[in-house]
Amino acid sequence: METDGQSDSKRDGQQKFTLGPNDSLEGKLTFGGHMTVNGGHAEGEFRIGGNIEIGNGTVVKALLEASNVTIKGEVEGRLTARDKLTLGKQAKLNGDVQVRRLQIEDGASLNGYVRMGDFEQQAPGS
Amino acid sequence: MLGPRDRVIGQMYIEGDLRVGGVLEGEVEVTGDLEIDDMAKVKASLAGRDVSIRGHVNGAVVARKRLIVARSGSLIGDVRVERLVIQDGATFSGQVSMGPGASKGAPAKPVEAPAPPPAPTPEPEPDAKVVIAPAEKPMVTAPVIPAPPVIKTPAPVAEVRVAGKDGRGKSAPPPIQRKPDKNKKKGR
Repeated sequence: METDGQSDSKRDGQQKFTLGPNDSLEGKLTFGGHMTVNGGHAEGEFRIGGNIEIGNGTVVKALLEASNVTIKGEVEGRLTARDKLTLGKQAKLNGDVQVRRLQIEDGASLNGYVRMGDFEQQAPGS
Repeated sequence: MLGPRDRVIGQMYIEGDLRVGGVLEGEVEVTGDLEIDDMAKVKASLAGRDVSIRGHVNGAVVARKRLIVARSGSLIGDVRVERLVIQDGATFSGQVSMGPGASKGAPAKPVEAPAPPPAPTPEPEPDAKVVIAPAEKPMVTAPVIPAPPVIKTPAPVAEVRVAGKDGRGKSAPPPIQRKPDKNKKKGR
């Protein structure tokens, strides 16, 4: 599934933005393509049109919003997946989550409130 | 094992494993593993070691080891687990508390299952003798046991079944006994 997504992204010709181990990103990012964080430092607020992938061993402290979110590392912060959120075996997620679909693999760790459903209801309760 | 046509409403404590295929409402605690089958509809707080959900569950879940929500499963309720697996396609909404020890703070202590209900009653008041249950007396004339609520729930079910068995032997008596009761109530 995930690999499919990646190959699709290349076919889409959508831009892909990768943060490597020596890169650092802090602040607010709005981006139409896909984003991958593989090591490095990322903190802030990322609103992504495509997919986000947080690689193994990567720590991200941010508000995340994207279509598909795949987490293999650690994330702290609110998260919105317009389509699907996947937590890999090593993933750790601390924060409230709004998703349409959710997959959690054995071994992943999650602490927070999970709300599932379509996004029209984007609860303006707060 | 509760089949797809079975229905349980009340409080359950089971030493061992439980598999639910039917309707279940109330509170369930299982020392072993708990399985909720595809057709099951559960409105209850659940506690068990390994809990796997393939049907519909509405209620809090405590899994001392692992909770699995399968692709056909749907769970609405707060969750305290040590490990959590959610398969793609499953529905889940609720607060997740996870990690070793997360499930310990919950009412999942297997041995003391009957204990929690009486716990609130023995408040440390000065008049120890009279204290027993000032609130309970009007409700239940016997002030002795704080545990009966646990036993009471299954009791009516048992009575119904016994009546059915009697009915096979002597078809007449049970209905006759009941009718006067209804008549009395109506008369009042």
